[in-house]
Amino acid sequence: MAQTGFCDSKALLDLHKKERRVPLRTWANSCLPKERCPPAESMERWEMVPKAEQDSKWVRVPLSAEEGIILDYAQMNTTHADGPKEEAMLRCLHGLQDLRILVPSLLRHEMELAMDKLGLIYDRTYAWDIFSDMMRSQLRDTFPSADLPNPFTENTRAILVDWLIQVHEVFHFSEESLYLAVHLLNRCLRQIKVSVASLQLLGVVCLFVAGKKEECLLPEVSELCYLMENAYTKHQLLRMERRVLCGLKFNLSHCPPLHFLLLSASIARCSNKMVWMARYLLELSLLEGQCVMFLPVQLAGAALRLARLVLQEPSTPESEAAWCISSTIHVGSEATLLKIMQILAVAAARARTRETRATYIKFSTADTMCVSHHPALKGAPCLLGLTSMQT
Amino acid sequence: MAQEVKYEPVAQIGGGAYGTVYKARDRVSGQFVALKSVRVQTNQDGLPLSTVREVALLKRLEQFDHPNVVKLMDVCATPRTDQETKVTLVFEHVDQDLKTYLEKAPAPGLPAHSIRDLMKQLVSGLAFLHSHRVVHRDLKPENILVTSKGQVKLADFGLARMYSCHMALTPVVVTLWYRSPEVLLQSTYATPVDIWSTGCIFAEMFRRKPLFCGESEADQLGKIFEVTGLPSEEEWPADVTLKRHNFSPRSPRPITDYVPEICDLGEDLLKKMLTFNPLKRISALNALEHSYLMED
Repeated sequence: MAQTGFCDSKALLDLHKKERRVPLRTWANSCLPKERCPPAESMERWEMVPKAEQDSKWVRVPLSAEEGIILDYAQMNTTHADGPKEEAMLRCLHGLQDLRILVPSLLRHEMELAMDKLGLIYDRTYAWDIFSDMMRSQLRDTFPSADLPNPFTENTRAILVDWLIQVHEVFHFSEESLYLAVHLLNRCLRQIKVSVASLQLLGVVCLFVAGKKEECLLPEVSELCYLMENAYTKHQLLRMERRVLCGLKFNLSHCPPLHFLLLSASIARCSNKMVWMARYLLELSLLEGQCVMFLPVQLAGAALRLARLVLQEPSTPESEAAWCISSTIHVGSEATLLKIMQILAVAAARARTRETRATYIKFSTADTMCVSHHPALKGAPCLLGLTSMQT
Repeated sequence: MAQEVKYEPVAQIGGGAYGTVYKARDRVSGQFVALKSVRVQTNQDGLPLSTVREVALLKRLEQFDHPNVVKLMDVCATPRTDQETKVTLVFEHVDQDLKTYLEKAPAPGLPAHSIRDLMKQLVSGLAFLHSHRVVHRDLKPENILVTSKGQVKLADFGLARMYSCHMALTPVVVTLWYRSPEVLLQSTYATPVDIWSTGCIFAEMFRRKPLFCGESEADQLGKIFEVTGLPSEEEWPADVTLKRHNFSPRSPRPITDYVPEICDLGEDLLKKMLTFNPLKRISALNALEHSYLMED
């Protein structure tokens, strides 16, 4: 059942690092009140993003009306048409009323193809139902606030997630398991009372449970304990597993943002490089505490847009058309997207110098087209109107 | 443990090799619930992967709140010994199952329109499970609950799989009467098995007694072939030990010999449900659009 050859797993864990990190447990014990949120200045900057949105739009993606999933072009144009230019455009679009009717069916068709390609469906006739279900069920995957109960801080969480990303890589788990594990961790931190001393144990158990849901091959409990330098016994780990499962009431369903990303990217006919860049940016969102407040589809949408902005690939009429169809998936207000893009841009710009750099290293390999090393990432915040001071 | 505090057991209403079922009362709300416990072997890897997935699936289905699926209110895992964990599922309690409902029906049996209504609900519950890739696998009148308002609720799905994985060595006595030919022949099977069971139950609603009452797998198949006729060699699955020549050749008999009260449209649907070849058997979604169920 379990993979073999794990006796040197700790060495594997350290594969990407030059210096050995202090074991998380030791660290976790000594990190109580240290808060390392982004500096207050930059927070203010982020708030300068038009307040007017107030985000009523993204919290409530229409539940039952399928139309809510697709952006309504005509409506958009009427509300935003204030200049003569837009009016001319609107008149032009008016002649193309058919487009309004055409786009949803095009998207449906493209969605079927994309889901099929990703192996998310067995039967194409159910494709749109499954996608609608993804759109609805993701509403349960967000949190009203990024605050964590005492004594945990955003920094504690980020370091734990960073470590889980490394463990996840060691076990060759699927990306779905990683997103699920971090989602479970986010919920557990809010729902289960755990001490700082058992935080690492909680993280590993979330990964273990995610693996039970998603993987065919699971590591042995003793291997997990070994990775934690045997700071906890097998018995403690299994007891934590029961606590997690009961605490979460066995609710383990999660709509990974990665699925939205891959679907959109496939419909938009994005290049491999753009997909890798977007995946990198999306994975960075796991480390950002504030990102728990956004919908998976929004995180995916923002990652993809930022990747497009950073890479500036030459466009063709075909690629523009494909991007337009993909953009009709309703991901929320522009302001929300911009906010997420800013968070991701700042994270990407400082990824290299941060303490938590598992994702940066993971995406620096040739397999991932070295996207994390892309020179344009350093200037990504500037592309979004943030000064480099804030990075 | 929490369950014992929160709920007060009223009566044991079922039991088996896998665990027990209690009717219990919520000490706070006074509401009745059904507590179903499944004992699972916990080896050194903790709760088995299959149990984690099954319960997670039940929880996921719960979020859709389908009217024809019994409500799962709570789940808990408690250790019993080092080797065993008790998984308790708390369901809404419905007093009556279809078996009792049929037994209680006055003399000439259920009126035709009630049967149609029950079938509609049963098939729509099934279509919901199947479109979420869930196979019930043990559909029988005891697992179909009927509320006092006549609402049908499917129960005990998923549970079947949870214990069958770990109880391989325990002889679990499960009734054969609603099993489809492909299950009896131990061939591969999927959602069509539930449609077969639904067909058997459909007939039973008119007859008020089971359609095929076999005593062993082979006997059950024999009873089925008495009605449907012996399937052709081409239809017989290739990968099974029981061979076609083990059964005596028979030609099909009109199903109305067994279910005389059924109308023409009902007969057509019943025949489509009791089709030997699972690939040719009607699906739940198509059955919902069958004229018999479309009528008012």
